[in-house]
Amino acid sequence: MSRLLEVNNLKTSFYTHLGEVQAVRGVTFSMDKGDILGIVGESGSGKSVTALSIMKLIDHPGRIKEGEILFEGEDLTARTEKKMSELRGSEISMIFQDPMTSLNPVYTIKNQMVEVIRRHNKVSKKEAANRAMEMLSLVGIPEPERRIKSFPHEFSGGMRQRAMIATALSCSPKLLIADEPTTALDVTIQAQILDLMKKLTKEIDTSIILITHDLGVIAEICNKMVVMYGGMMMEKGTTDQIFHKPSHPYTVGLLKSVPRMDCAKERLIPIPGSPPDLLAPPKGCPFSTRCPHAMQICLEEAPPVFQVEENHTSACWLLHEDAPGMEGYHKGCDIVG
Amino acid sequence: MSDSRFEFVGEISEDLESVRPSLTYWADAWRRLKKNKLSMMGIAIIIFTILFGVVGPFLTPYSYSDQINDFRNTPPRLELYAAGDTYLYLTNDYILLEVSENGNIQRRLERIEKDIFNKIYVYEMDGEAVTVDFSYNTLPTKQGYDYDFTIEYMGQVENQPAFTKWNKSFPFGSDGLGRDLLTRVMYGARISLFVAFVATLVNLFIGVIYGSIAGFEGGRVDNIMMRIVDIINSIPLVLYVILLMVWFRNNGLWNIIIALSSVYWVSMARLVRGQMLALKEQEFVLAAITLGVPKRKIIFRHLIPNAMGPIIVAMAMMIPSAVFTEAFLSFIGLGVSAPMASWGVLANNALSGLTTYPYQLFFPALAIAFTMLAFNFLGDGLRDALDPRLRKG
Amino acid sequence: MNSYITKRLVSAVITLLLIATLTFVMMHSIPGGPFTRERPVPDEILRTLNEKYHLDDPLPKQYFDYMKGLITFDLGPSYSKIGTTVNELIAGGFPDSARVGGLASILIIVMGIPLGIISALKQNKTIDYFVMFMATLGVTVPSFVIATVIIYIFAGQLGWLPSFGLSSPLGYIGPVLALAGYSISFVTRLTRSSMLEVLRQDYIRTARANGIPEFWVIAKHAVKNALIPVVTYLGPMVAAILTGSFVVERIFAIGGMGRYFVESVSNRDYTTIMGMTVFYAAFYIIMVLLVDLAYGLIDPRIRLGKEE
Ligand SMILES: Nc1ncnc2c1ncn2[C@@H]1O[C@H](COP(=O)(O)OP(=O)(O)OP(=O)(O)O)[C@@H](O)[C@H]1O
Ligand code: SF4
Ligand SMILES: [Mg+2]
Repeated sequence: MSRLLEVNNLKTSFYTHLGEVQAVRGVTFSMDKGDILGIVGESGSGKSVTALSIMKLIDHPGRIKEGEILFEGEDLTARTEKKMSELRGSEISMIFQDPMTSLNPVYTIKNQMVEVIRRHNKVSKKEAANRAMEMLSLVGIPEPERRIKSFPHEFSGGMRQRAMIATALSCSPKLLIADEPTTALDVTIQAQILDLMKKLTKEIDTSIILITHDLGVIAEICNKMVVMYGGMMMEKGTTDQIFHKPSHPYTVGLLKSVPRMDCAKERLIPIPGSPPDLLAPPKGCPFSTRCPHAMQICLEEAPPVFQVEENHTSACWLLHEDAPGMEGYHKGCDIVG
Repeated sequence: MSDSRFEFVGEISEDLESVRPSLTYWADAWRRLKKNKLSMMGIAIIIFTILFGVVGPFLTPYSYSDQINDFRNTPPRLELYAAGDTYLYLTNDYILLEVSENGNIQRRLERIEKDIFNKIYVYEMDGEAVTVDFSYNTLPTKQGYDYDFTIEYMGQVENQPAFTKWNKSFPFGSDGLGRDLLTRVMYGARISLFVAFVATLVNLFIGVIYGSIAGFEGGRVDNIMMRIVDIINSIPLVLYVILLMVWFRNNGLWNIIIALSSVYWVSMARLVRGQMLALKEQEFVLAAITLGVPKRKIIFRHLIPNAMGPIIVAMAMMIPSAVFTEAFLSFIGLGVSAPMASWGVLANNALSGLTTYPYQLFFPALAIAFTMLAFNFLGDGLRDALDPRLRKG
Repeated sequence: MNSYITKRLVSAVITLLLIATLTFVMMHSIPGGPFTRERPVPDEILRTLNEKYHLDDPLPKQYFDYMKGLITFDLGPSYSKIGTTVNELIAGGFPDSARVGGLASILIIVMGIPLGIISALKQNKTIDYFVMFMATLGVTVPSFVIATVIIYIFAGQLGWLPSFGLSSPLGYIGPVLALAGYSISFVTRLTRSSMLEVLRQDYIRTARANGIPEFWVIAKHAVKNALIPVVTYLGPMVAAILTGSFVVERIFAIGGMGRYFVESVSNRDYTTIMGMTVFYAAFYIIMVLLVDLAYGLIDPRIRLGKEE
């Protein structure tokens, strides 16, 4: 398996009139071809900003401050905007949370799909339209010949998200970034869309970064995952590793907050407190204000990244050899970053 | 590494979160508005203009209708010609005025001789003759001078002004009847702002009542009431105002206010209705309805206060447009009748003499533009401060 | 779609009839009748005049005659310009008014929209500040001031433009600018804020994420959406031009409808006031109808005649 994407120490900030909002503060992960990587974290933890940074779609007043984004070995941060736009939609595609607003209301689905296909392939309008219809039927839109002439408002939310997926995959990208693709849809449709994404990406050999709040979704379709909090990466590893051996209090908290399938009535246990202010982030661990195991050092110094097992790291002082030792936290891990 | 650093600190209280006190809606809005520099400037200009109109006239020695015919059409800047130990100013209609060194107009000099053929006028000052020869560049034999007239007094001939002074007697100049323009612009502020404020208040009153009834009742009542609004709105409102003014037959101050008040409420009614429709569905209103609280009480106690934000924004925008409309009416001859004058009337009066006396238009126009600007700034700021969509942040 | 147009047409006609009736009632309920002046008119003359203009007929008959006239596009004689009909006045004034108004509309669109777009794209840059400054001036300075300043500077001081009339093509510049000034500013501000709003929308991000070049993101995806609120201003723009013409035609001494209307107002020429009001109302209603239909072309969401 070969390396598809490597993100090293990514830092992205927004320079607002209130000051610098440090939305992403040092994120490092990598994925291979065929991987489905999940990114979880509560609202405001920097998931979308990370994804948009990879696409280099951070709008003014934001800027990638530091770090590398290696896509197939090439550093995207060094690419010109022109070369970057050639890559978007053809090599890396992205779909967004809200299908209701993500399609341009004044153009037909056909117009928008054909535009994208012809942007990245030298084909006639007719061929592009055929390809678009093919994609629509792949994503399960009935009567694509007729439906393709519709305007977005004539589609339901689920259908719009299908159309978004069809567009995103129409140029067979190597990587699909899906930013909460199902959050805005109702539950039955959510499952269908996820199934569809999984099936299609296998067919056209696309890797996925899936951003979600829903650990259940990650457990179901991702093989790797990253847990983010306050703009930083708390824990990463394979899905199995993290679900079986969570090594960060935040992850543990997240897992606890997921209602268990077998007793649906059980109350969701939210983690008390609210996320840190990214304008003036705490100098220690970002989670320290809410962490049940916070130590003096957590307030003073940001934790380094500890290697829990192969491919599994966690940024928590509990893993330090001097830590008091807690059940479930393997103290004395190596520091890797 | 010292181990004490690895001691649990226990529960960390989250005081930090509640540092900022939860402000009420209005206090919060005011806090935001205060931060908006342009809006504060707008408020300052508005306050200044109001004071200018209300207090100002007491500070000038003239009233808006005092006419000093001898001193008509004097501009705010006077080009003074030396004559002995005093100074002279020649107006565009050949009135020669004696002016003190610091710019106070003293008196008009009598003209004792008028030679139209040679273009020489002779005036009299303290028994001596002042000869004004303005034949330069007009008679075919006297072309190519860089001055248009000379003033001769006791053998001393001046063709260039000694200096230019601000007009102390009439800081904004005087009009064609010798009235002080500063005083008139001050009175104009009174009238323009009075018309605008009263018309806006009446519009507000009608619009809020009409709109809340339509929105609150809903159904057929709403349908009919809104159809009426649609019909009124389907032609330019200025036309109604003009028709009303024609119907009144005279341009009294109150007639103008009534005309302005009777049509512009429709936009307010629409806005209020929209707010009502949205608010009506909210729980506290539903609760009040089920509890049998009378409609009127619900509307005035609960609904209107909650819709106040957008209403105030609309009001702030309505005032300048009333000033504008009033000026427009004056301009097409439907303004307040003489000798009263709003800014629009002043501007209209200045029109005929524009090329010779541009300053007569300048000040009323400036007053209108400043007021418009101030209210626009304030309105923009209010919108940002009161718009619930932008709140929370 | 067709039923939508029919519905709109029917309601336009009803509105127009209501307005005509209202105008009639107002003009006939003026105390003293149309020929009362500050100085009393001799009874003898008054009686002849009343007879000549059928003012001694019973009111309902006058009303039906008037309505019959309206339906056959006959607006009756002018009370103050003896021997002229209101139709003739309108026919005489309309072409000049329409030319100036039409040019002003074109100017508003070709200046206001691009300026607004540029300003939005260069938000908070010098050019944005400059354009916004000018636009703010434009909505705060009344058109009669703009007009007189144009006359004073360009016709008076510099002598570049004629100060009245439309006899030379240069003569159009002043009135068109004065008439368009407010609306250019308004459209600029509207386009700018609408453009800024659109640029924040998700579909713009989608277009970028799909690799659409920035030029087309703006030119194709942003602009068309940003124009939707601008199109809704076109109705009020027609109104602004109509009423603006009252002022501008007077200042520039153009023999257009606006000037006749203002003259008829100061002469209390009731038939002309009535006729022109109804004409303006009809013209305005038709323009707004056309604008609404055009709206469907740009925003597909209302194409089916669903009223919001
Ligand atoms: N344009 C911007 N200007 C200023 N701050 C921004 C901007 N965009 C994002 N941020 C900040 O960056 C932080 C991270 O935002 P991000 O959208 O990445 O969160 P998220 O994890 O995707 O949350 P969600 O689950 O709600 O989508 C937030 O605190 C947000 O306030
Ligand atoms: S570093 Fe400290 S505060 Fe942060 S998660 Fe670990 S124990 Fe909690
Ligand atoms: Mg997000």
